[in-house]
Amino acid sequence: MRSIVSLEFVGRFDPQSFAAFAAHRAERLSLDHLVVSGAQERTVIRLEGPDPLIDAFEMALSLGPADCLVRDVRRLENGAQS
Amino acid sequence: MPPPPVAWTPVALAADLQPGAAAGVVVDGAEVAIWRDTAGTPHAWEDRCPHRGMKLSFGFVRGERLACLYHGWEYDGGGQCRYIPAHPDLDVPASICVNRYSAADAAGLLWVASGTGSGDLPDPGDPLSPLRSLFIDAPLGEVLNRLAADGLPGLGPVVESAEDGPLLNFDQAGHRFVVGRHPTGPSGTALHILLKGEVSAEARAAMIPATAELRRLAEAGR
Repeated sequence: MRSIVSLEFVGRFDPQSFAAFAAHRAERLSLDHLVVSGAQERTVIRLEGPDPLIDAFEMALSLGPADCLVRDVRRLENGAQS
Repeated sequence: MPPPPVAWTPVALAADLQPGAAAGVVVDGAEVAIWRDTAGTPHAWEDRCPHRGMKLSFGFVRGERLACLYHGWEYDGGGQCRYIPAHPDLDVPASICVNRYSAADAAGLLWVASGTGSGDLPDPGDPLSPLRSLFIDAPLGEVLNRLAADGLPGLGPVVESAEDGPLLNFDQAGHRFVVGRHPTGPSGTALHILLKGEVSAEARAAMIPATAELRRLAEAGR
């Protein structure tokens, strides 16, 4: 099933580094993604794709990159498409 | 991580990688997973699972696929992920794939190259008997100079030696040695040593102490 999900990452970020890491992982997982907001303490990313791959993205982003620290991940919305 | 060189590099004795087996090698600093499917076809990939970065050389061969040790993601011979055990019904996207290199069997050795590989792979004609692979903490140039001049320690004088591209050939103790030159990094060398012709297992076993002595002397810089 495909979904549209917005993930909020809370922690300590280098916004450029985190956005580049997110873009790489999203491309690898064939997910459509948009960095809605990127700041030093909070980043929101909108994703569209299969649920398992969104879960894989969340796991990957929660552990990296090395110069960022993710303390919490929240799902802001979830719209199932099919 | 840098890819391996474009020129073909011998990375193992062909006999040391059996069908259904995987192993990790380092080629000029590049970490490469080599594996044979159950039909015996060699493969060389970046040694990193696209999922969580686990070394694929720790994985298991499942028929024509290599499965990562960590979460079992399975990749076919083309490097494409075909199966994710945690999501068996998922249609895996084409973007989940491994960086592949070229791999080939020639002259009793397994060869790796980036792209399609430059230069010709050697064809020695005569059969070759594998002796051993030797890993030495010393630069390739130093090890080769020593080997070309003195051969294996304790086996008598070298009658003749010649470089043949990535191979070094020399005659010593009535045998023709063929050595694949494999730089693992700026200060690391692997030698993959074979003998021309059919040489008995007993005769080959008798040469092993000489190879160990070569390593000892090369690492001591003497």
